[in-house]
Amino acid sequence: MRTRREAIIGAAAFGASAAGLAGAARAQAGRDPIRVGVPTSQTGAYAVLGEEVIRGVQFAVDEANAAGGIDGRQAEFRIGDEQSNPDAARRAAERLAQGGHGLLIGAISSASGLAIAGQLDRWNALYVSTVNKADRLTGEACGRRLFRANHSDAMDLMVVAPWLRGRPERKWGICAADYVWGRDSAAGFTRAAQETGKEVALSVFPPLGTRDYAPYISQLKATELQGVWVVLSGGDAINFAKQARQFGLSAELTIVGHAYIVPTTLRAAGEDVVGSYGVINYDASLDTPQNRRFVEAWRRRFNQDPGEYEAETYTGMRLIFEGVRKAGSTDADKVAQAMNSLEFESPFGMVRMRAEDHQLVMPNLMGRVVRDDGRVHRAIEMTVPVAEATPPPSATCRMG
Amino acid sequence: MTIQILNGLVYGSLLLVLAAGLALIYGLRRVVNFGHGAFYMLGAYAGYTAAQAGGFWAGLAASAVVLALFGAVLDRLVFRALQDRDPLVTVIVTFGLLLVIEDAVQWIWGTEGRSMDAPALLAGSVALGGDAFPVYRLAVIAMAAGLTAALLAWLHRSRAGLFVRAASLDPAITAVQGVNTDAVAMLVTALGAALAGVSGVIAAPFLSLSPAMGGQILVDCFVVVVVGGLGSLGGAALAALLLGQVQVLGAVLLPDIAALIPFLTMAAVLLWRPTGLAGKRL
Repeated sequence: MRTRREAIIGAAAFGASAAGLAGAARAQAGRDPIRVGVPTSQTGAYAVLGEEVIRGVQFAVDEANAAGGIDGRQAEFRIGDEQSNPDAARRAAERLAQGGHGLLIGAISSASGLAIAGQLDRWNALYVSTVNKADRLTGEACGRRLFRANHSDAMDLMVVAPWLRGRPERKWGICAADYVWGRDSAAGFTRAAQETGKEVALSVFPPLGTRDYAPYISQLKATELQGVWVVLSGGDAINFAKQARQFGLSAELTIVGHAYIVPTTLRAAGEDVVGSYGVINYDASLDTPQNRRFVEAWRRRFNQDPGEYEAETYTGMRLIFEGVRKAGSTDADKVAQAMNSLEFESPFGMVRMRAEDHQLVMPNLMGRVVRDDGRVHRAIEMTVPVAEATPPPSATCRMG
Repeated sequence: MTIQILNGLVYGSLLLVLAAGLALIYGLRRVVNFGHGAFYMLGAYAGYTAAQAGGFWAGLAASAVVLALFGAVLDRLVFRALQDRDPLVTVIVTFGLLLVIEDAVQWIWGTEGRSMDAPALLAGSVALGGDAFPVYRLAVIAMAAGLTAALLAWLHRSRAGLFVRAASLDPAITAVQGVNTDAVAMLVTALGAALAGVSGVIAAPFLSLSPAMGGQILVDCFVVVVVGGLGSLGGAALAALLLGQVQVLGAVLLPDIAALIPFLTMAAVLLWRPTGLAGKRL
């Protein structure tokens, strides 16, 4: 005979197992979402680049969600204003990480990226650089939670050095933004120039956000150079390009830019950079099946071609998504572990995250701004395959 | 080096037009207008839009008109309404205005950098000492000199100018003499805002347009007004030209501390003359 007591226990057991089943079903339908934090420039000298980063993130998130999420996880993101300034970057990233958006991506200046990198263990977060070029990020500052999905200064100089060798200009100058990126790139260019038998006769370092470049341009002109290596981006590149043309600098010598002939510069000051050369990290014309699909979808959505920061940020987002898929978790520590030597599809083709220094290995391009039939655009003059475009991992990186 | 002195003069001239507006408003309303940088930016964007349709000079005129109206409304709704409160309250309101205008501009025109062409007449370059120098930059110096001369003539020769000078010296006594000081203040705020707008358009062909442009130049503008002596037009003019030279020579001769030099100059001047170069009003 069933006692009252047994009945109660039975009911409780049934209730418990029903609750357990419901819980399992919930976990299946909506596993915890992938929360991405985007500390990028909404204001400051690099605001225009921040807009590209946000477009890249938005596109990747919408694409993943439209396909049913990553392993059933929906993706979402929150933006914090990094203000093109390392202190603000650290604060913005800290708020994002502590609010649960600890998969960080997309700061603009290398100084901001480095400021975030130093805090990742404390926040239990990870950071994927998609714009920061300073070598230190995958050198002295490298770490197991820190990744770079864009080209470093060293990678860009692997393209510039052979190009420089074939050029007639002997006497060069440098005009570089006065912070870690500009200094890093200037040092790399100086080394490349020495190795190829050229001379760097003058280096000037205008502060980030300089309005009037006249004093620097006048110095470059007075030194009677044959070429200038320009390390400026965002609003700085636009200002410099216009003023260099007004002073006749661009007409009298060869200008080669680092992150300089990018779509934002071409849209605002296209006529002013016609004839300038530069490293091109990504171009919509890149010939891979993945890129053709990416460009087609991008054009449908934004009605223009994707630029480097958009494509590289999209690539960085793909890295995070594939990391989450492999880890089966959204915990930053586990995702970082999974990303360690991940291979995945990107607009650059199949790419690999190098385990030694967490640098994504990619091909690179070099080109020039030209005008045909009144349309100003970039013409690719040199495509450098992965094997030649990739410097070895920095000896200063010690993965902790 | 001659070229560098000329470069300093160009930037100093731009600061002069901008700072003149700030000094005028301070003279009458005793308010440091943090919104001044935003007026400069708004003027540049308004001028840019008008210039798309009617060219540079139309842009310049449109910017002056739009910003003058903006200044008049600001004076009526903010400065006059808050004139009996602690000046700090008004300063905070103008700071809020800066943020609102920056966001509105970003919303309307986007963060994408934009550029405006110099008028065709001033587009080329001339040989100066055997080196090409853009004609437009020389025109900036001329425009600033013309505007300053006109402003000084108006202040010192016209009846309205007399009222402005009187009201900035002592508003209460001036009102007792039968001058409508509220109307004078509104005129001056409108004029100050229009000068900010005009300087934005003057800057547009050689410095590009971005929503950050106002915040960046505002700092230099404050240095000018403080070094010149708060509210003094002549002092601001002198300080603007000085700062232009200091910045350029700093960038060339002491590049490692170039960003600090404007502030070192300000500290040095304030130690020497705590009320600024011209310690008196207008």
